[in-house]
Amino acid sequence: MVDSGSDASGSQKQGESLIEDIRSISEIKKITEAIESQVGSYVVGWEGITKSLIIALLTGGHVLLEGVPGTAKTYLAKLFSDSLSLTFKRIQSTPDLMPADITGSHIFNPKSMEFEFRPGPIFANVVLMDEINRAPPKTQAALLECMQETQVTVDGITSRLQQPFMVIATKNPIEFAGTYQMPVAQLDRFMSRLIMNYPPRGAWVEVLKRKNDRGEVVNVKPLVKASALISARELIQEKVKVSDDILDQITELVRSTRKLPQAVLGASATAAVSLLMASKGYAATVGGRDYVIRDDVKAVVFDTLNHRLMLRQEGPSTPSEEYGLVRVRGIIEQTVNAVTS
Amino acid sequence: MIKTIDSIKTIAEIKQIADEVVGEVSKYLVGVENNTHSLITALLVGGHVLLEGVPGTAKTSLATIFAESLGLSMRRIQATPDMMPADITGTRIYNPKSMEFEFRPGPIFANVVLMDEINRAPPKTQAALLECMQETQVTVDGITSRLQQPFMVIATKNPIETEGTFPLSAVQLDRFMFRLLLDYREKKEEVEMLRRKLGKKQKVQAVVKASALISAANVIRSDVKMSDEVLDYMVKVVRKTRGFPQVVLGASPTASVALLNAAKGYAALFGGRDYVTIEDVKAVAFDVLNHRIVLKQEAMYSPEEKDISGIQQLKSMLSSSIESIKV
Repeated sequence: MVDSGSDASGSQKQGESLIEDIRSISEIKKITEAIESQVGSYVVGWEGITKSLIIALLTGGHVLLEGVPGTAKTYLAKLFSDSLSLTFKRIQSTPDLMPADITGSHIFNPKSMEFEFRPGPIFANVVLMDEINRAPPKTQAALLECMQETQVTVDGITSRLQQPFMVIATKNPIEFAGTYQMPVAQLDRFMSRLIMNYPPRGAWVEVLKRKNDRGEVVNVKPLVKASALISARELIQEKVKVSDDILDQITELVRSTRKLPQAVLGASATAAVSLLMASKGYAATVGGRDYVIRDDVKAVVFDTLNHRLMLRQEGPSTPSEEYGLVRVRGIIEQTVNAVTS
Repeated sequence: MIKTIDSIKTIAEIKQIADEVVGEVSKYLVGVENNTHSLITALLVGGHVLLEGVPGTAKTSLATIFAESLGLSMRRIQATPDMMPADITGTRIYNPKSMEFEFRPGPIFANVVLMDEINRAPPKTQAALLECMQETQVTVDGITSRLQQPFMVIATKNPIETEGTFPLSAVQLDRFMFRLLLDYREKKEEVEMLRRKLGKKQKVQAVVKASALISAANVIRSDVKMSDEVLDYMVKVVRKTRGFPQVVLGASPTASVALLNAAKGYAALFGGRDYVTIEDVKAVAFDVLNHRIVLKQEAMYSPEEKDISGIQQLKSMLSSSIESIKV
């Protein structure tokens, strides 16, 4: 985006060119706003989610989207990656999905008489794994390995994945028969869990109206080049400063979840790293700053910690997911207040 | 700049390597000096290690950085309930070009194999791994292949058992030389860990070559001596565990062998000595014995809130009994 001096909300209507490179933190903020407003012109009510996706992408994180069916999870992920001119692949998890369905496999070519590698859908910038908890454990593990190592090994041959690389996994909060529970250690690999509930009624009407106007065909304009995102990522990693005071606060936040009487298992050291990275991302993308302040940490703490606490069973023996979330929210708020006050 | 060591002939050199590896690993991780030392000890005396700790206690990072600092090949296996032995060992695949079955080696063919959450793998798969550990070779469809040398398995385990785990049996646990218990770090160490995530990412330097590690292992095996007095002491320590009132099953003869090898490694790596002292035995005793003692049900649930599976109990029991042995 060329600095046209206009406010970001109208930017997608102007004919500005594709951004080739990002050199400063303030540019990161502008781009974030442009992407948010473009995505916001298609879907309603998910501004916060779009922001969190950008933060995760620019700090090397992966995201778990949790919401009931029909909350535009897939649509949002597609819009997001198209706006960033990233390659996008979608995988629908099923109970019979195998690791090779994600990574690809070697197939014998009778013409060349050689085994050839057919890359799987993991070879994309943004990989959407729909209903991750319907995939069997081995397949989940294969995906999580790719997430952590940004490389994949098939039949002993290791290939690098595309850069930037980000997994957006969706999960249905209502556990159906034929789903596999995700172990804590695997949930821990996701930088954030974002909760998508039904949008408020007003927004819902707006959704229908837009869908009616536009039909199903979506032609999203790419706003920024993938290479520019890589420089933005480096800028955030190397330039955004974190004071000792903030480091101390992040550590204390995470540590205090381990002492909670309601928790079987508190947040791990990995959680602290995610909280640090997300705070840096928030400082750059939302604040346009090259230093982290306390409010940045507060802004990302719920999304970063909510899937990492294992709570003791309480109340009804099968508490609904919603009930669980309300409880987690309360506990995290309490912790934040205790630490930051 | 670190110089990569390519041959080892003396005990003093072994100690130097151990110190350098610990130094290199400590650049990336905080508060893991003792565990890193234990990992090198196990590697040089042919042992395998079980790392136990709640998620996020840097078990995987420790194993990865350890392998990199030694310049060893490493493969990571995430255990899952639907994993088969062939996912570890590899399989034979028909190649229509050569009209032959070709062996596709599995992730076991590496110097350091990290088996994450070993207790999530089904029993048959666990057994396949343990067989590789013991025999340093693997047999697939009747054809036996040697594994790489040096070879070491680092398995991780989460003490909070969730659904879908298969506990390791006492016999299987016995195959691990050490069980190292990892806990959350002190606060200032955690802050330091976060600080190291800031700024440019660095690459781990290999301080030693794989060939040098093999000669180091030979030096320890042939040169480190053990007096009859120390041997006698070791046997007493192991036998003592069988008499505890809270215990169903004490340490096995395999435990004595592990204790002997671990003490030899400790003498060389920590002390730079070519003989084992009673202090060496004491230093490694807890890590060697803690997973080989089966406690009675009631002893597993100590009154202390955070004492998972009676670890604290075991600690005090072992240390008091070791102290009580007269030399």
